[in-house]
Amino acid sequence: MKKLLFDRIDEPGLNTLDVYERRGGYQSLRTALGMSREDVLSQLMDSGIRGRGGAGFQMGRKVSFLPQGDMAKYLVCNADESEPGTFKDRELMQKSPHMLVEGIVIAAYAGGISRSFIYIRGEYQLQADILEAAIAEAADAGYIGEDILGSGLSMSLVLHRGAGAYICGEETGLLDSLEGKRGNPRLKPPFPAIEGLYAGPTLINNVETLATVPHIIRMGGAEYAKIGTETSTGTKLVSISGDVKRPGNYEIELGIPSREIVYGLAGGPPSGRDVKFWFPGGSSSPVLTKDDLDLPYDFDSLAKAGSMLGSGAIIIADESRRVLDTALKLAKFYAHESCGKCVPCREGTNWTHKMLQRITTGEATPMDLDIMASVQTQIIGNCLCVLGDAMAMPIGSMVVKFRAELESEIEAARARSGGADVEDVVALGVADEHAGPLPVH
Amino acid sequence: MPRPERKTIQLTIDGREVQAAEGAMLVDAAKQGDIEIPYFCYEPKLGQPVGACRMCLVEVEGIPKLQTSCSTPVKDGMVVHTQTDRVRAAQNAIVEFLLVNHPLDCPVCDKGGECPLQDISFGWGLGRSRMIEPKRHFQKPLALSPLVAIDRERCILCYRCVRFSQEIAEDYQLIFAERGADTFVGTHDGHPYVAPFSGNIIELCPVGALTSQPYRFRARPWDIEDGAGICTLCPSQCNVTFTVRDERVLRVLARDHEGVDDGWLCDKGRFAYQAIHVDERITRPLVRDGGELREVSWERAIDAAAGLARHQGRVGTLVGGQASNEEGFLLGRLAREGLASADIDSRAGGAHGWAGPVSADLARALAAPELQASVPDIEFAHTVLLLGCDPRDDAPILDLRIRKGVRRHGVKLAIASARPTALEANATLSVRYAPGDDGRFAAALARALDGADDVGEEIAALASLLRDGGEDVVILYGERLGAGAAALLRIADGLGIAGRDGAGLIGLPGGANGRGLREAGAVPDAGPGYTTLATAGRSTAQIGAAAAAGEITALHLFGTDPVRDQPDRALWERALHSVALVVAHAAVLTEGLAEHATVIFPAESHAEKEGTVVHPDGRLQRLRIAIAHPGEVRPSWAVLAEIARRCGLDTGVTRAHDAFAQLVAAVPAYAGLTLEEIGGRGVRWPERAQAASISGGDVTLVGVPAGEPAPSAQNGSLRLGTYRPIWAAPECEVSPALKFLIPQQQLELSPEDAQRLGIAHGSEVIVSSNGHRLTATAAVRTGVPAGSAFLADGLAAESANALTESLVEVVKV
Repeated sequence: MKKLLFDRIDEPGLNTLDVYERRGGYQSLRTALGMSREDVLSQLMDSGIRGRGGAGFQMGRKVSFLPQGDMAKYLVCNADESEPGTFKDRELMQKSPHMLVEGIVIAAYAGGISRSFIYIRGEYQLQADILEAAIAEAADAGYIGEDILGSGLSMSLVLHRGAGAYICGEETGLLDSLEGKRGNPRLKPPFPAIEGLYAGPTLINNVETLATVPHIIRMGGAEYAKIGTETSTGTKLVSISGDVKRPGNYEIELGIPSREIVYGLAGGPPSGRDVKFWFPGGSSSPVLTKDDLDLPYDFDSLAKAGSMLGSGAIIIADESRRVLDTALKLAKFYAHESCGKCVPCREGTNWTHKMLQRITTGEATPMDLDIMASVQTQIIGNCLCVLGDAMAMPIGSMVVKFRAELESEIEAARARSGGADVEDVVALGVADEHAGPLPVH
Repeated sequence: MPRPERKTIQLTIDGREVQAAEGAMLVDAAKQGDIEIPYFCYEPKLGQPVGACRMCLVEVEGIPKLQTSCSTPVKDGMVVHTQTDRVRAAQNAIVEFLLVNHPLDCPVCDKGGECPLQDISFGWGLGRSRMIEPKRHFQKPLALSPLVAIDRERCILCYRCVRFSQEIAEDYQLIFAERGADTFVGTHDGHPYVAPFSGNIIELCPVGALTSQPYRFRARPWDIEDGAGICTLCPSQCNVTFTVRDERVLRVLARDHEGVDDGWLCDKGRFAYQAIHVDERITRPLVRDGGELREVSWERAIDAAAGLARHQGRVGTLVGGQASNEEGFLLGRLAREGLASADIDSRAGGAHGWAGPVSADLARALAAPELQASVPDIEFAHTVLLLGCDPRDDAPILDLRIRKGVRRHGVKLAIASARPTALEANATLSVRYAPGDDGRFAAALARALDGADDVGEEIAALASLLRDGGEDVVILYGERLGAGAAALLRIADGLGIAGRDGAGLIGLPGGANGRGLREAGAVPDAGPGYTTLATAGRSTAQIGAAAAAGEITALHLFGTDPVRDQPDRALWERALHSVALVVAHAAVLTEGLAEHATVIFPAESHAEKEGTVVHPDGRLQRLRIAIAHPGEVRPSWAVLAEIARRCGLDTGVTRAHDAFAQLVAAVPAYAGLTLEEIGGRGVRWPERAQAASISGGDVTLVGVPAGEPAPSAQNGSLRLGTYRPIWAAPECEVSPALKFLIPQQQLELSPEDAQRLGIAHGSEVIVSSNGHRLTATAAVRTGVPAGSAFLADGLAAESANALTESLVEVVKV
């Protein structure tokens, strides 16, 4: 299988400029700077590359949306990688940071951008240190800064570490956080390409997307587009975790059967158990079952099957897993990470979490599953950003696909708790930790 | 920036053809077609929509997802549906979600009955909830501040209050803490939210989460009546609605007027209504008897006041800033026609280094209609100049208007003042001069605009900003300029302001109705309508000196206590002591009146009064009676007419609007106005054809009196400037809710001087000059220029008017 990003990724010292250059690093940048901006952009367009962060929007089109003109424009690399199950950018940044830096400079050139940022999640301390070192090396070598390689292009690159919030991986929440505000998503439109960081036109792309750019320039957009399928071009890094023998990151050609990834690369569930359900694109993708394993792994096939490719994080649950556990864990995560700005997400995730908890304590009835399903449909499409949907889509799919199992969980838990009345069990707890300083008389 | 012009487009909402301005938000456009779309977080006054509550989701043809109509600008030909099953399902869902954590305690909630959440739940909700889980709990209610109580359980996190704090008042105190369903509104470190405009969040709150501490549990919406009025506690003259129950004002709400207040109120305007119903209020006439003020009958009090007639030609009349036009007009008639005394003034005397009062000719020239800016002009100007004023203290609501202009319309703000203002952070350019130098600074600026190059870098930079920053320049100037305001005519001339729409001057008078009183003739050298008088009388400061010298033997004090309100407290104490008769009209007893008044008539509050006032931008506004007079309070026009009658002058005023009719007949620019025309929104007279009767053409633009240059600071002394804090008012002192805001005297000085004098922030200091002294707390402020120091005026104790010299010594206690 053809490898681009992960080609000899484990070569010692690849994170240093020396090794990266020896392997032909920064040649694509030289090539790009020798081309006109329009030509670089058309290479990106021709490549057909779709965003690797989750939404899958065509990168070339995003760049083309940036207004022409002399205003301050920004590039923001989204390295927040907060989607549960996703860890591909971590490996990429840790092992080949210059690939990302090179991609950023080329993309900035294509967009006429002079200020770039990498917003990296706070937990990625090691990767942040490596990137800092790489940025310093690249600046010393003249790949970043004033008049890059004598081309007249000037671009600064600043690494910014997040403080630990899932919502800051959402592009507009990220921008607010980068501006020093509470990381809350913004209304769209205006889209970041028109009004983003500091109200300037902003190109936001995922680490993997930007790291692919040097390869597109090297190969040529049309050549790159030959990899993968017609609408899902190129290779994709897939993080596979859960019940598999060989979890980890793999680079695949888009469009190969999912089974080949789950069983061929990752070895399938240990001790020969069957796959029960799986997330094809991170914890916010609707779950699929073992019947879906022959789906081609590309954007459109997964969308047609009612799920999504998302960030390319496959999570496998085998037959030993309870759906309820996974649902509860997910709901708890999303309720905790909801920023609280919009109503359906804030209240919907919180309510769903409480309903699931009620199932485990034996205070639910099968009717609650109807309510739960309806709450998920009330969330989907009605929120300010996609965080609400990120919970509602997988939970909704679980309630539909595993209703019988959830019903028997409900009955079993009720039996365990003696079938007590709900009113007797629900206690009113008073949270007084938010008490202010001045009591009212 | 000049106001954008919007073309009208047509769209279809629920099958109706609706006309709307292009770019208007869908939710507003729908109102044009009588279609109501529910919402909580949307409030155009707060700036850009946030789309947080999701209540206003609608279906727009061609867009797959439901759209928030609060943030969707209308386009020509758009087709919108607000009643489809899909939209209804979303609306039901949002209501259900909102009630997941909102307690259903409506029967004991202050908001019940006037609550948008209640209304929308009934109108757009399913009427039932499937939620049986416990709701979130907080300790409640808590005092967000002494004025505002917060119930976090009721909060639906609509963002309105936080946006107000962050983007309107820019006090940056309110924030969200925690996240998700645990999010709550609070302040940094739990500090109380104390800020001049904090009360607006109560009105913004769409649920009962933020309630007024003074109003809590005082009434239910079905117990109350609304009375429209004008707040006359400062020159902003905000339009208000009095909430009245059983002839008592229980609450003051904003009565949104884009041309005046933009729908905001300051906390003084919102809470000082309490002063109407306190024990301190004078509700029966008082007469001094055996050295003591005693309550007497109206007959006896009028008898005593009629004693003014025995002081013909020797009566000084001072008119307080809250007096209405009609009261000022009647006082002028009483003084001039009834008492043969032209010594009447409604303006404060100036402090140290002052250029002297504005002459009648200058006042007329400054009032010329072609030079008047309107309040909304502030918001859309290219450049706004503050000259010798700080709107935060002088006309608070304009402070918000300036912030809005800077934030939303890119207005460039220039500030020239002795004391740093509250708007420094918003300013493009800020220039400091020495206290008392207002007039001289204005003159130098005028010269710079004329082309002089010896004015120094700062003034040159200011001149070039004003000249080159765009044609629409609005200048707000303070009363401290005095006669120095003459320079404004040259500045306006140099900038081509005259006759330009969107450019002009706004003078901020010291008194709430300062402008109206001048126009009504309550000044020594001009009659109603700035008409020239044969013989001019004495100005305020001269009246004080003449009274102390025995040339004036009686004083008529209408709504003012010069010991409190005027510079040179000692002079006024002598003056009041020297005269034989002091007739006063007051709502509460202040020190000068308690000590010296012979007769005190109970004064009306602004909720009881009938009459008109004039906004600094020339808008005549009407005061209406919202509550009956408490106790034995009588309408002032009647009291003045009766005193005049007893002094031998038949004013012909037997009803409130007789006084108005006489005023309108006497002021040419008001000619033909009726109270109906003024109505609830007011009339800007500079926009009327009759305004042409006032013309500034006959004023020579050359001579700009500059006053004596103040001596520069030497030998460790500091140059003293004064200011009147927004809270320094008897109304605040007697309002229980505002007592915590009553300012204590503090000396503001620069870090340099503080270090030199060894004074720490917060330490006690003694400020003295020429044998007078007062104690204050030191406040070290970085914006204060070295050599200057500032004290507050208008305080009940240790007020700056105890000092008379411009140079003061400061020592640590």
